[in-house]
Amino acid sequence: MSIKTSILSSIGQKLLLATSGLIMFLMFLIPHMGGNILFLFGPELFNSYAHHLHKLVPIVIGIEVLMLISITVHMIIGIRVALANKKAASTRHSQKSSAKRSFAARMMPVSGLMIFIFIIKHLLDFTFTQKNQVYIHDEIGYDVYEMVLYRFQDPVHVAFYILFMIAVGFHLSHALQSALQTYGIYVPREGSKIKIASAVIATLMAATFAIIPITAFIR
Amino acid sequence: MSEKINLTLKVWRQNRGEEGRFETYEAKGIDTAASFLEMLDVVNDELTLKGVEPIAFEHDCREGICGCCGSLVNGKTHGSHDRTTLCQLHMRHFKDGQELVIEPFRANAFPVLKDLIVDRSGLDEIITEGGYVAVKTGNAPEASTTPIKKELAEAAMDAAECIGCGACVAACPNGSAMLFTAAKVSQYALLPQGHPERTKRVKNMVSKMDELGFGNCSNEYECAVACPKGIDVVNIARLNREFIKANLGKS
Repeated sequence: MSIKTSILSSIGQKLLLATSGLIMFLMFLIPHMGGNILFLFGPELFNSYAHHLHKLVPIVIGIEVLMLISITVHMIIGIRVALANKKAASTRHSQKSSAKRSFAARMMPVSGLMIFIFIIKHLLDFTFTQKNQVYIHDEIGYDVYEMVLYRFQDPVHVAFYILFMIAVGFHLSHALQSALQTYGIYVPREGSKIKIASAVIATLMAATFAIIPITAFIR
Repeated sequence: MSEKINLTLKVWRQNRGEEGRFETYEAKGIDTAASFLEMLDVVNDELTLKGVEPIAFEHDCREGICGCCGSLVNGKTHGSHDRTTLCQLHMRHFKDGQELVIEPFRANAFPVLKDLIVDRSGLDEIITEGGYVAVKTGNAPEASTTPIKKELAEAAMDAAECIGCGACVAACPNGSAMLFTAAKVSQYALLPQGHPERTKRVKNMVSKMDELGFGNCSNEYECAVACPKGIDVVNIARLNREFIKANLGKS
């Protein structure tokens, strides 16, 4: 078995999915959530955070490149695996799932695709867009707080973000525990603390992200 | 006390290389003490008398240990999910007048040979790639010469319970053979006799499994729910570890 066949084997592809997913979770999602929370504490803190973040150019670019690689690997392998799986079980008629089959697990390709759509929309909303300038600590910076407030005036837009955060929550709740099982850390079928922790972390994360558009809308 | 019940069967009929379809048959006066396969025997007797070709289904030991039998009954492998093979499933679990949909174990890697019989030789091919110890060891040695921890022996025995019926493949939303392969890799990985070939074994068996068109594991655990022998997904975690170790280590 060459390295190439090992990587493109069923378990190899699962390991790639798990690793690229965990990189995005640990290196991007968690810091992003930490930064977003600052929005709740008002314009000064949030703008100052954004301003300082942009000064860390090498780190930011490093992480952006890492995210681009991870998301590309995650999507290519994800689509490959999903298509192969569909083909491998394409001849069924009366098949029923067990009552224990998880909705989140079943929806992984769908929630994954939703997240991809969301990322594009999110980048268009906040990254590749006009920003107003403002003084931050006597330097010129961007008024990102005002931008967030402005973007979330439209309730449809807020609802869109909440819907997609639910997709993130479902995706993570299966992904976290599934990644551990793929690494060979046994996640039992029933009564697993890892499964509960996975669901709790996913829910908290999705809720924290969803609070930002709701707060902006109310303010 | 057994009673007699009447059932309506919708059975998958298919000849090799032809399109399949469901045919409806009446199963009258079935004894609730009969097994599912005995019920099919009764129906087949009547079909034969009527000049209809009997329903082809696979069976051998009829005591739940050979792994030959197995069909989807109302969408569930082996008819129910209580660690029972189809031959050990009794008609007392069904109600008078019930309709049963009977379909073969489905997967891309399990082509239908006839009616309810599928070609599961893919599982044998995976075994051929390393599901054995290549060294001939002669007669059973004195038990104390190779001390093995009780927990390891138990875990290996749990894995070795797999009868290779293919229910895991049929129940998997992805038609994956991970639970089967995991059980076979595990039973050797846990015991010293299996260690010299463990690297080669896991790589070759996984590679064969992929080549045959079985799907990928997405950790949904439907396989373990369906398994008539209660093989657990702990074996899949172990297979993943074995695979990682085999590919990271020098071979």
